[in-house]
Amino acid sequence: MIGDFVVKGKYVGAEVDRVDAIGKVTGETKYADDLRLPNMHYGKILFSPYPRARVLHIDTRSAEALHGVRKIITAKDISGNNLYGYEIHHHPLLVGEGQETRFVGDSIALVVAETPEAADQALENIEVDYEVLTPLTSPREAKAEGAYQIHPGSQGNICCRPELIHGDIAAGFKNSEVIVEHTYFTSRQEQAFLETESGVAYVDDSGMLHIFSSLQDPYDVLEDVCYALGIPKSRIHVKGTIVGGAFGGKLITTIEVHLAAMVYLARVPVKIVLDREESFIFHPKRHPDEIHVKVGSTRDGKIQALEAEVLSDAGPYSGRTPEVLGLTVSALVGPYGIPSVHLTGQAIYTNNLDSGAMRGFGAPQAAVARESILDKLAGTLEMDPLELRQKNFLKPGQETLSPVLGDSPVSLELLKDQILEKMGPLPEVSPEQNKRVGRGFCFDMPVFDVSAIPVLGKSGVGIAVEIFSDASACVYAGGTELGQGITTVLAQIAAEELGLPINKVFVEMSDTWTCPRAGRTSASRLTYVLGNALLLATEKIRNTLLSRAAKMLEVSKDELILENGKIKAKGSPSKGVGLQEVATVCSNEGLKLREEGWFKYPEDRYMYGHTFMASAADVVVDLVTGEIKILKLVNIHDSGKVINPILAKGQLYGGSLQALGYALTENLIVEEGKLITPSFSEYLIPTAMDIPEEFVADAVETPYPTGPYGAKGLAEHALNSTTPAILNAISNAVDIDLTTIPVYPEHILEAIRAKETDHQ
Amino acid sequence: MSHHNIYLMVNGKRYSLEVESDRSLLDVVREDLNLTGIKKGCDKGDCGACTVLLNGKPVNSCMVLAVQADGKEITTIEGVARDGKLDPIQVAFIKHGAVQCGFCTPGMILTAWALLRENREPMREEIQKAISGNLCRCTGYVQIIDAIQSAARVSRVNNE
Ligand code: FES
Ligand code: FES
Repeated sequence: MIGDFVVKGKYVGAEVDRVDAIGKVTGETKYADDLRLPNMHYGKILFSPYPRARVLHIDTRSAEALHGVRKIITAKDISGNNLYGYEIHHHPLLVGEGQETRFVGDSIALVVAETPEAADQALENIEVDYEVLTPLTSPREAKAEGAYQIHPGSQGNICCRPELIHGDIAAGFKNSEVIVEHTYFTSRQEQAFLETESGVAYVDDSGMLHIFSSLQDPYDVLEDVCYALGIPKSRIHVKGTIVGGAFGGKLITTIEVHLAAMVYLARVPVKIVLDREESFIFHPKRHPDEIHVKVGSTRDGKIQALEAEVLSDAGPYSGRTPEVLGLTVSALVGPYGIPSVHLTGQAIYTNNLDSGAMRGFGAPQAAVARESILDKLAGTLEMDPLELRQKNFLKPGQETLSPVLGDSPVSLELLKDQILEKMGPLPEVSPEQNKRVGRGFCFDMPVFDVSAIPVLGKSGVGIAVEIFSDASACVYAGGTELGQGITTVLAQIAAEELGLPINKVFVEMSDTWTCPRAGRTSASRLTYVLGNALLLATEKIRNTLLSRAAKMLEVSKDELILENGKIKAKGSPSKGVGLQEVATVCSNEGLKLREEGWFKYPEDRYMYGHTFMASAADVVVDLVTGEIKILKLVNIHDSGKVINPILAKGQLYGGSLQALGYALTENLIVEEGKLITPSFSEYLIPTAMDIPEEFVADAVETPYPTGPYGAKGLAEHALNSTTPAILNAISNAVDIDLTTIPVYPEHILEAIRAKETDHQ
Repeated sequence: MSHHNIYLMVNGKRYSLEVESDRSLLDVVREDLNLTGIKKGCDKGDCGACTVLLNGKPVNSCMVLAVQADGKEITTIEGVARDGKLDPIQVAFIKHGAVQCGFCTPGMILTAWALLRENREPMREEIQKAISGNLCRCTGYVQIIDAIQSAARVSRVNNE
């Protein structure tokens, strides 16, 4: 099946080089911190030292008097709402006198100075009196009766409470002969993009505010700047720069509202670049979750019922939490057909670091709980874990739970066969070496956003394409290049459709001035939504070009093909005309050579398409030291037609290694609301030494009926399924239950000891 | 803060500079020489994004004071391509998909460049070890290692 569905394309499906690679390997690419403007000043933010405190008094006089300081800004200087936030505007730009801070990433004052050093000095000289208050640092404590409300007027500090019901859960457990249940704890994961939050901005002579920053959603930034500062939307231009990694951490507005306030009030161009510690504090992380899950099955392994409760730490602000937790809840079902399901979640506000989007959007947490309990069930049933999964695989035509669309051809059996083949026999380790080998599996049904209607209104997702009289073309796409390769994917599609060499196709991205609205760059959505919009736009241009050429060549339009920069008649290859000539004629005659394509999914609600993924890991565990070594890790993905196999593999490897970190090392520790691990020497992400000895990424390409060329989204997906495969491999090796990630060697030793004591 | 007059040979060009004693080589190269190809990922010596070659050896330029580099030869990413021609390592990074967001790429390429000068035929483990101080959050390293191996092959063929 691999490579079976090939829409014969010169570019689509081919291993095309990244179109943005040369600048990145030569150092020429400009990231936000590489930009400089005339008379540029430096902006710094004074963050709250306390997770919860009342600001009594702010004295900026001595800071203002310092040499090189241009402006100090506090809440009373802000004339707009001084609030921002995705959907709910409850995130203060600046916490003012008399107000309370909600976490250590809250901003108290802004400094604009001539040099970064002067700005730092000013920060030290701002005097703030705080009344320090006791923070709420656990969701349990925060939801308890009588707890203070982090957002006055809320109840139980509840941010959101999704629920998913399917079938009759009581009957499901009644039909079950075996019931297992367990609680799992997942850690707070930091996106750890290498480029910290950064941007520059200025106001031009006509009063237009220009913001260039490292972001995932220029449209959301525009909304936030308008709301917080009262600047008309028509006076704001946001351009996303080339991003040095984001993984969800730049999905809500980061420093842009701060930057805009500085530029407006200090009346000079300003740059903000957060340092690493500030970055770790500032943006929302993956939610730490406590997931209690209970599953009922017949003796022969047919799962009858699944019940789960998720308790999630929302941090101080809502942001993307409702979406993330919604996905955690629905992803607890995974790629299995389960007749009765009752799933609930609660995200609770706390004064800890903020939680929000991170690659996988809540699904990785769910996968840990789901795949771990499946192995536990398999153990109880004395059944092979793979056989148990296979027995319960979603069947073709079987219903999926909202908001997941069930319109993908089911390829789970195929993935299972492929992964078994790729894994081969389990490697042996001789027992006297005090080492044990184990294998773990995970199957998953990762999602990608197809609808976007609630985000963008009824218009859907737009893109524009223009072909010029010299037969070069430009695509204007409102998505953002985060490294995932969307620029290249769009260039491939446009080149294919317009019959142009790819070096004649340029892609302009993430610009609210030139690009039609396309919404956020997240939820693995761009290949699908922008790819579809692009096909609609290029179709219009093709039509114009072919119709005009048909007249020139005196043949019917249907007989013409567009390729290699030429329009030719199918039957008689001698009859042809160069694209440049046709484009010139069209342009001279005033025919429209810039077209927009607007894609919207037919149904008017929020929903996800999905892919299928199988992951497997072989590990060896040292019984003396508890050390874990990953011998082999295989991910096989069915994300429909793969537009660019090299890029797709890169997403699989990259996501998978982040998941390895999630399983074994990554834990952003927050105590009493304060960050304990503020650097890369304390928060450990995988290095090149940590990759599995054998690391395999492969694809099965089952075309997706509504996708561009049959493609689906894929960028996030390997993060979901790798962690559980590793956890299950460890459990399998040493026969212990793992309940908490990351799993450190000492946890393994403890679990082994506990088991031995039990047996005595 | 005391000022020092230093000179740096950067990518074969001589620069005379007056710098304050506490400024890092990273800041001086990025801000004063406007060579922004090297990146600041942490400013603490943890990530390798700021890698330059100092007398041919890769160092984290955020951990080196500019005054310590006085009189030394420095190669930044801007000095890797010669006469507008990409180095085989750069070509291999493109061909093998070793670049995603690109923020680690300049440092990674310089580290690889130094490795291949010392070891023309590195094993995968040797490459992993050499680049272990250069964090990459995007790629999972596999395609980077592939690229470095392939560049080593190409360079060997070219030199034969
Ligand atoms: S910026 Fe120098 S090591 Fe990270
Ligand atoms: S490519 Fe993004 S950090 Fe390496």
